[in-house]
Amino acid sequence: MRSRDLPLFLVLLVPASLVLLVFIAAPVGQSIMLSFQRIIIGLPQLGSPFVGLDNYRELFHDPVARHSLRITAIFVGSTTFFELTLGLLLALLINRRFPGRGALRACVLIPWAIPTVVSAQMWRFLFNDAYGLINYALFGAETHRYVAWLAHPLTALLAVIAADVWKTASFAALLILAGLQVIPEELYQAAKVDGASAWQRFRRITWPLVRPALLIALLFRTIDAFRVFDLAFVMTQGGPADATNVLQLYGYKKMFVEGWLGYGSAVSVLVFVIVMVLALVYVRLVGRRVMEAR
Amino acid sequence: MKAKIGFGFGVALAGFFSLVPFLLFVSSAFKTQTQITAVPPQWRPEFSLDFFISAIGRYGILDYLKNSLIVAGSTTLITIGLAALAGYALARLPRKWAGMVLMAVLACAMFPQIALAGPVWRLLRLFGWLNTYQGLILPYVALTLPLALWILTLFFREMPEELEAAALVDGCTRLGAWFRVVLPLSAPGLFTASILCFIYAWNEFFLALLIMTDPAKQTMPVGIALFQGEHTVPWGEIAAASFITTAPLVLLVLLFQKRIVGGLSAGAVKG
Amino acid sequence: MKLLVRIILVGLILGVGWGGGTAAAGEPTTVVFLTWKPNQPEVWNELIDRFHQAHPGIKIKIQVGPHSSTEYHAIVTQRLKNKDPSVDVFFMDVIWPPEFANAGWALDLSPMFPAEERDRFLPGPITANTYKGKIYGRPCYLAAGLFYYRRDLLDKYGFKPPEQWPEMLDQGRVILAGEKAPDLKIYSGQFKQYEGLVCDMLEFLWSNGGAVLDPRTGKSRLAEPEALAALAFVREKIIGRAAPVGAINYEEPESLELFVQGKAVFHRNWPYAYAVADDPAKSKVAGRVGVTSLPAFPGHGPASTLGGWQFGLSRWSRRPKEAWRFISFMTSTESQKLLALKAGLAPTRRAVYQDPEVRTALPHLIEFLPSFEHARPRPLSPVYPMISQELQRYFSRAIVDKEADLTALAKITGAKIEQLARLGAAVQP
Repeated sequence: MRSRDLPLFLVLLVPASLVLLVFIAAPVGQSIMLSFQRIIIGLPQLGSPFVGLDNYRELFHDPVARHSLRITAIFVGSTTFFELTLGLLLALLINRRFPGRGALRACVLIPWAIPTVVSAQMWRFLFNDAYGLINYALFGAETHRYVAWLAHPLTALLAVIAADVWKTASFAALLILAGLQVIPEELYQAAKVDGASAWQRFRRITWPLVRPALLIALLFRTIDAFRVFDLAFVMTQGGPADATNVLQLYGYKKMFVEGWLGYGSAVSVLVFVIVMVLALVYVRLVGRRVMEAR
Repeated sequence: MKAKIGFGFGVALAGFFSLVPFLLFVSSAFKTQTQITAVPPQWRPEFSLDFFISAIGRYGILDYLKNSLIVAGSTTLITIGLAALAGYALARLPRKWAGMVLMAVLACAMFPQIALAGPVWRLLRLFGWLNTYQGLILPYVALTLPLALWILTLFFREMPEELEAAALVDGCTRLGAWFRVVLPLSAPGLFTASILCFIYAWNEFFLALLIMTDPAKQTMPVGIALFQGEHTVPWGEIAAASFITTAPLVLLVLLFQKRIVGGLSAGAVKG
Repeated sequence: MKLLVRIILVGLILGVGWGGGTAAAGEPTTVVFLTWKPNQPEVWNELIDRFHQAHPGIKIKIQVGPHSSTEYHAIVTQRLKNKDPSVDVFFMDVIWPPEFANAGWALDLSPMFPAEERDRFLPGPITANTYKGKIYGRPCYLAAGLFYYRRDLLDKYGFKPPEQWPEMLDQGRVILAGEKAPDLKIYSGQFKQYEGLVCDMLEFLWSNGGAVLDPRTGKSRLAEPEALAALAFVREKIIGRAAPVGAINYEEPESLELFVQGKAVFHRNWPYAYAVADDPAKSKVAGRVGVTSLPAFPGHGPASTLGGWQFGLSRWSRRPKEAWRFISFMTSTESQKLLALKAGLAPTRRAVYQDPEVRTALPHLIEFLPSFEHARPRPLSPVYPMISQELQRYFSRAIVDKEADLTALAKITGAKIEQLARLGAAVQP
């Protein structure tokens, strides 16, 4: 980089930074401020006193919040694992040349393309215990064998996970595919000439070079998974008995339904901190080599 | 041979699992009302277009479609524009510096959206931008910038600097080199980022719900949420609407799919 | 000089801002009505057209949100809590008036809505809209929990509609044994962890003489034997027995669908379900449906949860007079009659139930009247949303976890609710 380019580069950063500052950084700051206050929207007479870390202390001792955190962690772990694995497999599939590849690519993108509010309704419909098509697919017309997926705590969580994996595996696939595209074809040719097997080609060439894309997919998937909301809201409303009461849904209920603006903000800040820590861990462990010189 | 069969099987499976749940749901759009929730379910629809007619005529889907196109389209153009410029800068600035900026940008992507909604709403009210297109577009740009920036920065970094050096030697300005050399070669990254941005803006619900209450400006996700009356979930119309709302996106992908994977020719890279 | 110019400019801006609130001569005043998307928009549009004809000086501008109670609540409160004058008229779910009244979001309507006028409305909704002696909403339409049954099946086995819950189970068992239909269930209701669960469970609780809170002492009554027995009944005899286990994830649509597909003998739902169940295009049991009051437990009377929506006027509205004229029109006898006849919405004015046209066209509406008269509102408190969350959690846990210790749970939940109620009662509106 030539030193006379520095001013230009800094200028290039300005528009994006401005948008981010105004529409994200400032609201985030406000939310953090709110998390240090005690505010009940329906009781404005109580004002908005500054209570320091009280909201966080309460959060720490709140059994429902702890349960939410556990549920969310299970959700994030399972969905990220399945989505990245499936995404990688899908990307590898689509990366090869074969007739109908474009059609498959479009197909695979459909789950991601549908608005979450719609796909949540769709899965609520598909998992229904009486007329749900999943029961029909598994048990045909033997209605007495139908399972009430969304009525049992364990299967309800699995259903929400399945719905999310279906939706987001293609997001991961698309990202990883972009990463695969960058790998030059000659490397594979050379390896084939040298007699390398498919697995060796994958291990030696694909895997190291697709890591940047995988990292981005991992990072953004984890961030999004921690903030899952629509699926739980529509499919189960957080039930049965809080079995799918993910953290963001709990925060929403506290903030918008019950009116605990300060406490709800604290939940959001908590999610933020957790995700931030995870991101730092990822970047440290996996990304260091990726972020630095190739 | 075994590899080929395994491959074919994988393709079929991928297609099957992506499509089938959606097709099952959308087939409801072609059924009659009592057929949809029949117990046990009937998967072959009695062909009827009533729900499509209802979705368009009674529920006004096409207006929501128009608004979504405007909002998502503008968001994508602006985000990609900003991210391409800023990403180039970040790709060429010293690594440590750029790394810090990228982490800060990432931090912006991490904050739960529902908490942002309130402050953003107040901000928009201050500007008088509630129930306007820009009131939705700008927050969406902010929400999609982090991912776009990360994708494009890493893509631009992959470009060996020799290519630009050659252009600069030929008398191009820095930006000229960017425009003529780097951008075309990053087409996969650009199109991937564009599609992801577009889809995000197309599907975003919560902010749209709070900001747009004027029916003339509401986007698809809010529109579909409005289908539900009190205690009624019109599965048929919702299925029809899902069909209509997904079609443009699929078309978009089909149109641009060559670009997504129209990768670098080895020659250009080796250069 | 510069200072003077600035002062003039500011004055102009303020003047314009202020003047914008009242109508300039000849220009219609705009009243903004933030509503949810109705089931039958044509009927509401017709009403609004009628209003425009009757009041040419006022123009209604509609803004729309989803009908989902929580989402609509988020949209309305977002504006009201920020003192936004851009909304004049809005709806309130029957459980919101205390919250809105206490927070100072809804205007006190007492001066415009005197006692003689209130007496013309049904008592339940009026109570729900009243907070600390003042009234904050004008009831638009009401709902109450009703008991639907398959008239053809009951007739076939010589039964009259059950007046007690255990009787319903007995009838159901006989019918199921006789029909030999494996899909047929005795009962269908709403048991997902949401507000509807509270509505359904309170009906069981109240019909056994139980209650949530004692309004005078503020003490929780959840741990009392009547309340626990009702809950135990639901947990042991209804969920997974009389009703499918999937009812744990049912809201109104799913539970109604079971009934209209002919897979349930008895069904609990709001009045809207009648029109759906009796429509051959939507229901396989059209023409075979009967409706009556909900059963009760032996020794007690039936109970029905009050639902419905009311009009509210924003405290920050700049044209309260015009807004009130709109609200008054929309809740007039004529308007309520139209809504009843064309949209099937149960009126809140007694007079409409006496109207001969209504009586001929909607005979079942008159049969619902006893349930409407006795419909009970849920606990009236500005912090009801928080109380509701605790109740939802408690009820859901009780019916999902068969091993859970009900008494212990009731005590814990009761303590939390007492605390919340105290918080809400302590503040002055």
